[in-house]
Amino acid sequence: MNAKKYGKIAYDGLVTNNATFKLVLGTCSTLAMSTSAVNSFGMGLSVTVVLLLSNVIISLLRKIIPNTVRIPAFVVIIATMVTLLRMVLDKYIPDLYDSMGVFLPLIVVNCVILGRAEAFASKRPVIDSAIDGVATGLGLTFALTFIGIIREFLGSGSFFGIQVTDFRIGFFTNAAGAFFVYGICIALFVFVANKAEQARRVKKMRVLRKPAAIGPLPPVTESSEREDG
Amino acid sequence: MTVKEFFKSNAFKSLAVLIAIVLVAGVLLAICNDIFFVSDEERFARSIAKIYGAEVETQEIELTDAQKTYNNGQVEEAYLVLDDGNYLLHTTGYGGYSGGSGTVTLWVVIGCDASEDGSPQLTGIEKVVYDSNDGQTLMSNFNTKYYEYFTSQNEAIASGGYFTAIKGSSDPLNNIVAGASQTSNAMVNAVNTALACFRTVISGGQS
Repeated sequence: MNAKKYGKIAYDGLVTNNATFKLVLGTCSTLAMSTSAVNSFGMGLSVTVVLLLSNVIISLLRKIIPNTVRIPAFVVIIATMVTLLRMVLDKYIPDLYDSMGVFLPLIVVNCVILGRAEAFASKRPVIDSAIDGVATGLGLTFALTFIGIIREFLGSGSFFGIQVTDFRIGFFTNAAGAFFVYGICIALFVFVANKAEQARRVKKMRVLRKPAAIGPLPPVTESSEREDG
Repeated sequence: MTVKEFFKSNAFKSLAVLIAIVLVAGVLLAICNDIFFVSDEERFARSIAKIYGAEVETQEIELTDAQKTYNNGQVEEAYLVLDDGNYLLHTTGYGGYSGGSGTVTLWVVIGCDASEDGSPQLTGIEKVVYDSNDGQTLMSNFNTKYYEYFTSQNEAIASGGYFTAIKGSSDPLNNIVAGASQTSNAMVNAVNTALACFRTVISGGQS
């Protein structure tokens, strides 16, 4: 029962409510950071860590935080987690810290994180919130990395920083190219997700329509009449 | 409302919870700041490792405030690299994004040969390494290709030239910086500041 529930939460975060492709949240950092796959992957993982930590803490404190001050309380918690992440990255992964620049502190105002805190973590138990945080974060990481791979390959001719070809189209490294790739990816994701959902429904309907394999009813006997009586 | 009523009210509870969260967050961050503190020496060692890939011996060059200040940039520090005789300048270029007030700080390695009179003779830019920025949102657009541009013009630089900023969208460099032309302007200014400092101060008036 629990496994099915957790599976549904994870599927929602990864596919049904994919923050980038379905809800179109956090667009600013998506467009800015997706010039290379490595940057996109780093940004995605950073958001995942913040989402996980903030969701867990908010879920733990959900019965203590009064409803009237929940938003400022969430913002303080998220800002604390982001500041912590900045310190850790600056200390141990300075290259990623440098490449993320101003978008690392801007994770505080990333609407994906506040959105999940308000819509999910503030109402659900800790484990559910943790799974939601990880799934939403990984969904965002997948989306960002996918866009990053396309833009890096077409714009710079490289794959995760490794030069593959000299052919490059400068347009894809610009803001306009980012919007173009983002739009195409959304269309592709929605198309594939809809097809998968359609196939799942058809399969379900077939199962429902299948006649039940029930044999003929047993004849009424004297003993069964007595039991009824 | 009496004092007793106030302490029992929702307003007090909200205030108390919010203050408690802020205090706990503050204490946690203060402790973590101490644990994850990165000292200036560590930052310098990191920059050296990024530039040379190994530890090198350096000697700081003393500069006055006037010798550090230029029209479009500022020299933060200057070092003589004892291992290869080159000069390492830490410079900040002005004129970046954010209304022209943004800056980019770089490490610039200036290649030198000793001239007949013993003074250092500029041979070109050996390497440019990014350090930090102020307000440059598109900093991640700059890949190695742009940094390599600074090391590919050594003939012109050795004969007294400076780098010029991107003039318009038709400039071939504009594609490489992915539209972040103002940030690239600050980077050009940082490199030019290093060149100006070397020519006017370190090499003793070389043109």
